[in-house]
Amino acid sequence: MGAFLFYLYAIIACGAAIAVVLNQNVVRMAFWLVVSLSSVSFLFFMLDADFVGATQLLIYVGGTVVLLIFGVMLTSSGPYKTIKSSPAELVQSCIIGLAFLALISSTVFSVDWEANERRLAEFEHEAAHIHDHEHGVGHADHHHREDHSVAYGYNAEKEGNTTRSLGTALLGVRFDKDLGTTGHHGEAKLSTGYLLPFEIVSVHLLVVLIGAAYLARAKRRVEIQDA
Amino acid sequence: MSPEIYTQIGSQLMWLLTAAWLLPLFGFMIEIFGGYWSPRTSKTPAYIAVGCIGTGFVLSLFALGIWVKAAEIDLLAFGGDEAHAVAHDDHAAEHEHPVAHDHDRADGHDEAHEHDEHAEAGHHEHGEDEHSEDAHGEGEHSHQDEDHHEHAVASHGHDSHAGNDPFKTAFAGTFYRLGKFGSLDVTLDWYIDGLTVLMFAMVTLIATCIHIFAIGYMSDELTEKYEDHFVHNADGSHFHRVGRFYRFFAYMSLFCFSMLGLVLAGNIFQVFVFWELVGVCSYLLIGFYVERKTASTAANKAFIMNRVGDFGFLIGLMIIWTWFGVFQFAETNPETIGEAGLFQMVRNSAGELETKGEGAEKTVVLQARQGIHKEHPVHATAATEIPYWLLVAAGLGIFAGCVGKSAQFPLQTWLPDAMEGPTPVSALVHSATMVAAGVYLVGRFYPMFTPEVLLVIAYAGCITLFVGATIAIVATDIKQVLAYSTISQLGYMMLALGVGGWLAGLFHLITHAFFKSLMFLCSGSVIHGCHHEQEMTKMGGLYKKMPITCWAMFVGVVAISGLAIPVLLVPKLGALAFSGYHSKDAIVASALTFSNLNPNHSLLFFMPLITAGITAFYMFRMWFMTFFGKPRDQHIYDHAHESPRVMTVPLIVLGFFAAFCAIGGENGPLAQLILTTEPTHLANGFESAGSVALSFPSHHQIHDNHATAGTVALLAALLGTLLAYLFYGAKLVDTDLMKRQFSGIHEFLREKWMFDELYDWMWVRPVHVVSSWAVAFDKQVLDRFLHFLSYLVVSISSWDRKFDEAVVDRIVNAVGETTFSIGRSLRVVQTGRIRQYVTFIALSVVSLFVLLFVFLPR
Amino acid sequence: MDGISLNLFLGVGALLFVCGVLCMTTKRNAIGVLMGVELVLNGANINLVAFSKYGTLGLDGQIMSLFVIVLAAAEAAVALAIVLSFYNNHRTVDVDQASELNG
Repeated sequence: MGAFLFYLYAIIACGAAIAVVLNQNVVRMAFWLVVSLSSVSFLFFMLDADFVGATQLLIYVGGTVVLLIFGVMLTSSGPYKTIKSSPAELVQSCIIGLAFLALISSTVFSVDWEANERRLAEFEHEAAHIHDHEHGVGHADHHHREDHSVAYGYNAEKEGNTTRSLGTALLGVRFDKDLGTTGHHGEAKLSTGYLLPFEIVSVHLLVVLIGAAYLARAKRRVEIQDA
Repeated sequence: MSPEIYTQIGSQLMWLLTAAWLLPLFGFMIEIFGGYWSPRTSKTPAYIAVGCIGTGFVLSLFALGIWVKAAEIDLLAFGGDEAHAVAHDDHAAEHEHPVAHDHDRADGHDEAHEHDEHAEAGHHEHGEDEHSEDAHGEGEHSHQDEDHHEHAVASHGHDSHAGNDPFKTAFAGTFYRLGKFGSLDVTLDWYIDGLTVLMFAMVTLIATCIHIFAIGYMSDELTEKYEDHFVHNADGSHFHRVGRFYRFFAYMSLFCFSMLGLVLAGNIFQVFVFWELVGVCSYLLIGFYVERKTASTAANKAFIMNRVGDFGFLIGLMIIWTWFGVFQFAETNPETIGEAGLFQMVRNSAGELETKGEGAEKTVVLQARQGIHKEHPVHATAATEIPYWLLVAAGLGIFAGCVGKSAQFPLQTWLPDAMEGPTPVSALVHSATMVAAGVYLVGRFYPMFTPEVLLVIAYAGCITLFVGATIAIVATDIKQVLAYSTISQLGYMMLALGVGGWLAGLFHLITHAFFKSLMFLCSGSVIHGCHHEQEMTKMGGLYKKMPITCWAMFVGVVAISGLAIPVLLVPKLGALAFSGYHSKDAIVASALTFSNLNPNHSLLFFMPLITAGITAFYMFRMWFMTFFGKPRDQHIYDHAHESPRVMTVPLIVLGFFAAFCAIGGENGPLAQLILTTEPTHLANGFESAGSVALSFPSHHQIHDNHATAGTVALLAALLGTLLAYLFYGAKLVDTDLMKRQFSGIHEFLREKWMFDELYDWMWVRPVHVVSSWAVAFDKQVLDRFLHFLSYLVVSISSWDRKFDEAVVDRIVNAVGETTFSIGRSLRVVQTGRIRQYVTFIALSVVSLFVLLFVFLPR
Repeated sequence: MDGISLNLFLGVGALLFVCGVLCMTTKRNAIGVLMGVELVLNGANINLVAFSKYGTLGLDGQIMSLFVIVLAAAEAAVALAIVLSFYNNHRTVDVDQASELNG
């Protein structure tokens, strides 16, 4: 069932994206974009990223694409206005795109993710082992696997939804990393959060809001001249 | 006279004369700056100039009055015994007068030296009477004179240390101290004595007349477009320029200022400054018509000839400064009496040079150094003696300046050329101001001259007067005749000064100023009336056309010739004669006495005597040729006319003074005024036993010869007059025939004794030769070297140019061209199409990764 | 879900990415270009979230993708404003017309 859903949404997402490329009409492009982005949000859900998926739906599908459609309506002189590219460009672009795809695909498939992960796990284990030896032996061995998953990865089954963890992480507290663990000397562990980037992004959004309003404002002077 | 009254009179004189001196400068400022901006047709500058100099004349008259009152001269006393009696009555109460004191003492010296041969003239009781010729040396009144003298000592307390103390006869002071360089005090001083006051009155009066005359004479210049008929443009037309009326009067004012400053100056350095200023003004005025080549050359000549003399002047100044340390003539301030001036230092209380040693070791003791010591401690070690030969050299140096300025032999050649200036300028330059400056300075500096210098002066004057007179015989230009006569008369003055006739020389200076300015103005009137024709050979018969000018000229001619109606007719006045007779009489008398005392130098008597005849001859020749006979040029005669009143009135005024200014002769007011200032050592004559044994005449020795000299001179003059009448008036002798018969002499005189040629041969040619050598050296050596250097530089720079073009330029161009072509070829990539850029980015990423895979080792 | 490997997610991301690039290169409509940008960002987001799930990133990957979404929204707003401004000046949204800065 999970595999089926994945393939379904993956195909929809990819097909819609290709449709965006192939369609010449802006409005249809927007439609297919909505389809594609929605499918991607489903993929996010399948990846246990429920908050990201929800955000994808809200912001992309509900915000950005609507914005785009507003843009289309404001700029398009006719309802089905199309601006065509020359066939040579299309061919050229396709070749480059395919080459790009081949490049990325070959890169992706040439990497042995399992082996990488195992090697990484061993490395972490050794580090933890040294750590345990420094603080006395005993509890380290039989909790090995759980400790690892808690400390160095996100375990969807154990932690459930991600919203609270993301919220605290953005405020600078990393429950997902620090809960139930101790530092090297037995004190409470404090990992790095994202409070500063969060603030920067907030200000960034404000600036963008003002800037966009300024750029898109009505040019009264021009109108007066026209009148 | 108490010091307070003395100071008071001195300051009165100082203020009056300073005002008279500065007024022309003020006028000059207004004229030269105001005239430039005002219309050229305005006569205002002339009125300003006349006003300034006229006011100066009035002030000078006041000063003269003050002086006369202070000097207690009875101007009407000449020859009259009654007048002396009156003077005597007053004298007892007023005997403190400085001038009187001086002559008291002089009288006292007379006592000591003189015999009693004049004792019968005993009705005169006081030294005052000495001013009259018949009053000197009354033996029986010696005790009274001595009493006066002692009284004077008691009242002043400082009479005793300087017998020739100018405190008695002069007023001096300092306007302003310009600066102090080491021990040299450069100050603006004033020095006022009878000579100064008289010169002021004379200069301002004559200048006023000339200024007024010039209003008429220069009226041609009252135009915006003056046509100069003597200057031709390249196309043959006449030269045109704007009128320079205002500039003429500005220069005239400056000239008067300079001359008056020279007369007022209280130290020899200041004299030198104004001396040069006079030279500059004469340069400006002689070269007034600068466009005329002859005028500018004449101006240059006058200036350069004067420089030659001034060279000697400077040497004299250096000697004086080095050995005396002061430039002031005399120090007379009652407060600081004892501050010695030059005159007080050279001569002792008896007015004699105190000498030590013999031959080359001979020195002159300097008097009154104690005053210097007080003020300038640095002088405590200064010389108290000056080598005699240096004093001679200083005197000769100063005289060299006078030679240049007064156009004496051998620097006389500039003066005739100076006739290029407008005629009023000639009148001013050659009567009252410039040439008078030289004679004036010799008179002023007389105490500094040793007998040797005086002899040189006498001989210079002697040669000059003869040379000038002989040339004047053959001159045909009316102004040239007057110019040479000026030279000749200046020679008379110098001769008189040189033979000890101080009074005679300066007397003649004053009288000559009047009649010579009169004659110049008359000639100006003639020239003006004849439309700028100056050649006498084209005149004649002008008497009918311009009678006033003719008779004014006659007065001048008679005056300069020294004609007189003999003594007998008018006993009181000595002789009925015009001024020239009296002064020339005095000169001849001095010369005669001198040659009697020094038989070796009898030439100094015969030359002026002969020349007196020549003078009368050439002056009457000029008068006859100009005004009588048949008109030689009918065209000029027809257009001739009498000058306007603005020109004739000055003639009449000057004619009056030329005739009567010297009335009374040497007993008259003018001579008496001059005599108040005579250096004390002259009155009794003196002996010189130095390298040249000379003895100089005393007053009464001269007086003894007066009658003889007067008779002889008068005979000579009458002879000359008669000859002139026969030649030119009655035409009994064919002058052209004479000219042919004496063609050699005539040519020699026409060529002015070949002086110009001589100087050309002596100075100009050698300079040309030396300069041609210098030119050859320049061309052969210096030029070649410089050409070689420049060739070297040119060749080096041509190599450098090749290097630049072949290497540097090529590299720079290559870099530039490469950059440019690359940019141009890459330009097409920059399409401005954003989609293409994205394509490029993608392509680049792909290519990069491909390259990475291909080349990165696993 | 167990049969789904990381590679598949990465493959979907790559395809979306390439589609976005192609959109940017072929669309002359400025808004089409913007859509391409959105697709590119989405492809990247899929990768981030997939690594968050399969790798050792934990929540960091999701936080990254959140930031990307936020910035994409901001970018879209600004870009649309620019497009509107361009349209006001040129009366078109053809990016090929905006070639004043060519060489």
